[in-house]
Formats: sequence, C-alpha cells, structure tokens
Amino acid sequence: MIELFLAELKRNWILQRRYPIEVVGIVIITVSIFYGLFLSARYVAGANFQLGDRLDSIVIGYVLWSLVLFIMGNIASILQYEAQTGTLEQLFLSQFGAVKVFLIRALASVTLQLIFVLTILLAILLLTGSRLNFPPALLLPLIAVLMGANGIAFTIGALALLFKQVNQLQVIFQFGLLFVLATPTETWTGFVQVLANILPIAPSAGILRALMARGESLNLTQLAIAFINGVVYFALGLGLFRLAERQAKKRGVLGGY
Amino acid sequence: MPPKIEFCMKALEAYNLKKSFSRNKQIVTAVKDVSLTIEPGEILAFLGPNGAGKTTSIKMMAGLIQPDAGSVRIMGKDPHRNAAALQNLGAVLEGNRNLYWRLTPEENLEYFGVLKGLTRREARLSGKELLTRFNLLAKRRTPVQQLSRGMQQKLAFAVALVHRPQLLLLDEPTLGLDVEATEDVKILVREIAAAGCAILLTTHQLQIAEILSDRIAIIQKGEILAEAPTQKLIQQFSGTTYKIEMQAALDEARILELEKIGLEIEARRIIYVDRTELLYKAFTILQSLPIQAVLKEQANLTEIFLQIVKQGNNLND
Repeated sequence: MIELFLAELKRNWILQRRYPIEVVGIVIITVSIFYGLFLSARYVAGANFQLGDRLDSIVIGYVLWSLVLFIMGNIASILQYEAQTGTLEQLFLSQFGAVKVFLIRALASVTLQLIFVLTILLAILLLTGSRLNFPPALLLPLIAVLMGANGIAFTIGALALLFKQVNQLQVIFQFGLLFVLATPTETWTGFVQVLANILPIAPSAGILRALMARGESLNLTQLAIAFINGVVYFALGLGLFRLAERQAKKRGVLGGY
Repeated sequence: MPPKIEFCMKALEAYNLKKSFSRNKQIVTAVKDVSLTIEPGEILAFLGPNGAGKTTSIKMMAGLIQPDAGSVRIMGKDPHRNAAALQNLGAVLEGNRNLYWRLTPEENLEYFGVLKGLTRREARLSGKELLTRFNLLAKRRTPVQQLSRGMQQKLAFAVALVHRPQLLLLDEPTLGLDVEATEDVKILVREIAAAGCAILLTTHQLQIAEILSDRIAIIQKGEILAEAPTQKLIQQFSGTTYKIEMQAALDEARILELEKIGLEIEARRIIYVDRTELLYKAFTILQSLPIQAVLKEQANLTEIFLQIVKQGNNLND
C-alpha cells in the first residue's frame, strides 16, 4: 500500500511539474475570484469598510471550499477523464481493488493539493490584509474536513461510474458546498443547529473558523461532532462507490463513455 | 516411488458465460453461451463480426463485467471473487488507450507495475527489461503522446506484461497500425506466447489471426459457432481439389483423355482434379510430361470465417 501511495504521489508530482501552467492557472484564478469579490465588497461599503474577524472567517470558508473542490476533482473529474482516455479499466484490473486504488490516489493528491491550497491562502492573506491564527490544533478539524470532502468526492465518483457525465451535478454540489462552507453555521441555534451538524463538512469548517479567525480554543464536543460527521460522510461515499462499482460491472458500463 | 503426475493448470477457463443488458427498456442478449479454455503458451484468436459479443466476453473474463451466469478462472482463480486472480492477467483492451499520455514509457511502466502489485524497484527493473526487449529504450523518457502509434502500441503491451502475467488479453492489437508496426506486434505476440504466456486475441485482420493463432474460436450473436486448432479448421474447410500446372501446353489426345475421366482443363496447361483418386489417373495420362507444380486448394481464414458466419446466420433465420 505504501508503494502504491508513493507511486501515486510520484505520478501526481510529475504531472504537476510537467504541466505547471495548469496548476499556476488554477491558483491564480482561485485567488483572483476571491480578490475580485473582496474589492467589490469594499467598493460597495465605501471608506468605512471594516470586516475584522468576519473577513478572516470568509477567507477560511473560501479556502476550505477550494480545497474541497480540488478533492472532488481528484476523484469525480479524473474518473470521467480516465473513462474517456481508456485508463480507467486498467485501474479496475488492479489486484488492490478500485476502492483502495482511488483512496490511495485521493490521499496522494491531497498531500500535494494542500500545498496549492496553502499558496492560495497565503496569497489571499497578503492581498486582503486578513490575519489568521495557525494553532497546531487546527490539524484535527482539518482531518475531519478531508474525510468529509473525500466522502462527497467518492459519492460523485460513484455517480460518475454509472452515468459518466456528471458535470452538471458536480457544479450544483460545488455551489451547495460554497454555501455550507462560507456560512458561519456554528452561530446557528435551535433546530438549525442540528442541521448545521448534519451538513457535510460544516461542523469542521465552524471549528476552523473559531480556531483560526476568532482565536478561540478547541471545543472537544464540537470536534467529536465534526469527526462523526466526517466519518459518516466518508463511509457513505466509500459504500456508494463500492455499490456503484458492482452496478457498473453488472451493467457493463465500467469503461464506456 | 509413485509415478509423477504432470498437472498443467489452464491459463484461462471460461464456462457457459451469459450476459444480457437492458437498453432502452429492452433486454439485449450480448452473450448467450461462451465457453473457452486456453493453455499456457497458446494463442487463441477470438473472431466474430462487430457486435457478436467478443468484447463483452473478454471483459467478463477479465472481471470487468459481471456475467449473468457461468464461471471464469484465471490460473484457477475467479477474478470476480478473488482480486488476486488479476495478478495473473494483463490486458490491452482498447489499443494504446491504456497509457497515461503525459507520462513517459518508464513512468507508465513503474506506475502500472506498482498498481499490479510490484514494488517500485521491481516495476522499474521489469520495465527496463521490457523496454529493451521491445526496442523502446531510446524513447524511455519521451512522453507517450510524442511516440508513434506503433511505439505506443508496443508500450501498451509492455505495460500489460510488466508484472509477468500468465494470461494476456489483446483486443484488436494491430488496429490502426502501419505495416511495419503490425509486423513488430506479430513478432512480439509470438515471443510472448513462446515465453509461456497464454494469449487471447481478437482481431478483424483474419490474416493475422491465421498466422499467429494456435486455435480459433468464432463467435456470432453471442454463441461460439466453431472452435478448433487453426490448421485443423483450415484443413476441414479446404476442398479436395488439386491443381496441376504443366510446363508446356498439352496435346489434343491427352486433353481428350483427361476430359474423359471428368477433369477440367484451363488454357491447355492447367488441370483441375476434384477427387484424390483421380489425381493418380491424371498422373498416368501425363506420364513423362514436365509438370510445373501440383497444388492442393487451401481455404484461407477469411473464406472460412465468412462461410461459418453465413451458416450461423442461416441457422438463426
């Protein structure tokens, strides 16, 4: 498994290094969109534009959103691309089994993509003047974020296995997630608070905002909820992917596009 | 000492495979009944018209399509139940499309080798050996997209062989290749089989199937219509007509004698003999005349294929 992880990491690294314009382009576009929105908000607010830790919270939501988009792209988009290029069936001919291969692949990609996301974050901090805290404790909710994001990615991947063209659905998911990640759901109360705990990645995003933007300490109850949320979505994604693999083999649509 | 029992495991065993798909609310039977076995080192050409069920059958054998009924064993293991069976399988399913075009040959070999259970070191070593054997070493650091179609196809073979499988599935391996590249692929297929790997090959180029295969299976409408060793099938479909070519034109008296025993003569030099017993009578008549050649009519695979498929159509109609 470690060999496969290293091979995936190497494959990813070679592709990024060999075609750097694609990566640089994505980073620039992601930063530009946020900066454009930031400048528009400043223009609307006029001279009294002061967001304080609200800006920091928005930055965290936006950067998390871009991380989730990268992870979704790893599985769902690449799966559609590989079905077109013909390499997809070779992955299913591996003795490791498709779920393990895609899981290792996601892990290897995330390792590299965390670097891109960090670059995006630093660029946004520089451009907007936002200041964030980086306590070591942020790693824990970040793991929950990664689990939830991979769960969603595997769910869309499962649909891509069966229906091949899921671009429209992916876009709907992307904007839905922008809402979930950018909204401070941790401030919701009553019934909607329960909803906030159920929405994918929302509890871990809330903890990250508390830690990094508002400088609060780690709430263990919230962390437990975030982990349960992450594990449930991750398990759901993997389960659906496994089901979709079986269905695709039954329907004979594994490699077709 | 007890007698030594030689046990040779079959590389592929597929029995009574069946598969139907639901398309536009209709059930379409792609494979009705396919059974095939291949011994190690044997090349089986799996032939059939478009839509006959070849690819569906191959994908069921590879574990990529779940059969509705029937069983598959690769070196005794079921690929649908035991992923370890895939360790003995290599496949080039759609020409050169099983490669990462942005990676180089050695990067592709290393990646797919690890995907097939080798360590990175083992994959690199095996990859280098295959690149040397397939005459691709000079191109090992060139991205696949910059290689010629023939080189890409050879690399696809190398990738399928990097983990030294016992069974190789080749779906149209010479499709779109030029003459030189086709010759290269033919040589490679022979070499791979000679090394003990069983090969299941589909192709529409029947000449290639005739030259390469040890055995032929012809499928139509999801059923195997004929399966036999290639030479036996050719003999079976070859007639008993002989053609005697004379060096010089025959005189009138001999032509009359030959016609009397029921032979056909063309341009006074070529005699057609449709029964073996008449051949020796003809030789007696032709005694002392110089003969250029005696040829037995030999069916080619294209004629055999068309004949079998036509018979199959008539049966189904």
